Amino acid sequence: MKTKNIEIVVAPREPHYVGDGFRVHNFIPSGYRLDMERMDPFILLDYNSPFYFPPTDKPRGVSVHPHRGFETVTIAYQGKVAHHDSSGNSGVIDVGDVQWMTAASGILHKEYHEEKFSKEGGYFQMAQLWVNLPAKYKMSTPKYQGITNSQINKYQLTDNKGIIEVVAGSYKGIKGAASTFSPVNVFNARLEAGAKAGFTFPANFNTALLVVDGEINVNGSETIAENHFVLFENEGEEFSIEASKKSTVLILSGEPLNEPIAAQGPFVMNTPEQIAQAIKDYNLGRFGYLEE
Amino acid sequence: MDLQNFTKYLKAKANIPEQEFQLLIKKVKFKNIEKGELLLRPGEICRHSFFVEKGLLRSFTVGNSGKEHIIQFGSENWIVSDRSSTFFNEPSDLFIDAIEDTKVVLINSDFIEAASEISSSFRHYNQMALQNHIRHQQKRINLLLSASAEARYLNFIQLYPDLTLRVPQWMIASYLGITPESLSRVRKELAHKNFRPN
Repeated sequence: MKTKNIEIVVAPREPHYVGDGFRVHNFIPSGYRLDMERMDPFILLDYNSPFYFPPTDKPRGVSVHPHRGFETVTIAYQGKVAHHDSSGNSGVIDVGDVQWMTAASGILHKEYHEEKFSKEGGYFQMAQLWVNLPAKYKMSTPKYQGITNSQINKYQLTDNKGIIEVVAGSYKGIKGAASTFSPVNVFNARLEAGAKAGFTFPANFNTALLVVDGEINVNGSETIAENHFVLFENEGEEFSIEASKKSTVLILSGEPLNEPIAAQGPFVMNTPEQIAQAIKDYNLGRFGYLEE
Repeated sequence: MDLQNFTKYLKAKANIPEQEFQLLIKKVKFKNIEKGELLLRPGEICRHSFFVEKGLLRSFTVGNSGKEHIIQFGSENWIVSDRSSTFFNEPSDLFIDAIEDTKVVLINSDFIEAASEISSSFRHYNQMALQNHIRHQQKRINLLLSASAEARYLNFIQLYPDLTLRVPQWMIASYLGITPESLSRVRKELAHKNFRPN
């Protein structure tokens, strides 16, 4: 098998706020060469690097908003998020947990810092990923997978130098906790200094990583600093990482859907007509109702 | 600045030969304005019409109690202005500001006159735009005086389909002349009528 080389390393952009609770660097789709088509089926990645939110009685977050046509994946590294949606699901995404929400035909939801976390204040660190749905599943029934850290299968690296948490897909025979609609791999590599891990994905899969904490070396050749994003070439299958200090790395690899993308705000469909329909349906209450 | 929308707009509205189009486009100015920045304050004379190349503007007044009343929203390809202030050369009652970071094209009377001279179709378009503005204002007065909150909302989503995704609820309520609570009730009732879980 051939080595999968780095195509580009992308530095974090200036952060912006989503609502008043998420201070994020956007990588996909506004990062250099990281548009939706290039990263297909990963159509958005917002990363809230560690940021201190002071105590407040009024939880910060994002008020009621719709989604249609894809899945939102929220990965909590520090801090807690409370979530409610129009299907009646609610829960708290705790440190180490992952929430995998399939918006599909349409859902309303709101996301706020959890009450106790808000009152006490603290460091907040989170990633939100949008995974596109194949055309035939875009209008399927919404669903929700609240995955706690204990439900995520972990691969133990040699010498107990770290673990690979398999959120979705599979790693060395260990299956991911989340069910997906197309071949998608999402891992968190939690590495001690000196830990090494290798990854193998088909050449055509769009593959990337984000250094969430620490610093790593990729393929023994390039050092990647914290908060930096690595896009791999669509050639070769294997790459390796080595932590130069204690590190957490988000690994993404997915088979491109190669379907047309029409996107506006919180809707990602295949045609502009479907976007117009989504807006109309949302305005007319066809996504249901959720109290602010 | 990339003026794709304005160029397309002008070419669609006026049959202007390319050479003259290049002269005309020199008469407009462009401006990038940040979210929250004002383009017009009460007491000022409105010297321009603001064509929205990208982003979102609103015109509004502020009542004695400090409450904002939104007169108009203008997203891409809309023109926001105070026509009467411009025409009668009198102080405006309006604020105009940006709800999002916005790229605007500043159109003044010099441009309108030059374009009208060059192109009869622009002259015709300018007449139509004025009549259309009056029609819109009349309908809006009538809706505000006589229509239910739901009817006003249904009219709004037809006129501005994507603004429900771009502006906060209270601004939509302000435009509709209803309380945010009433708007919330209208949306809840619509969901009750129209939501069919699959």
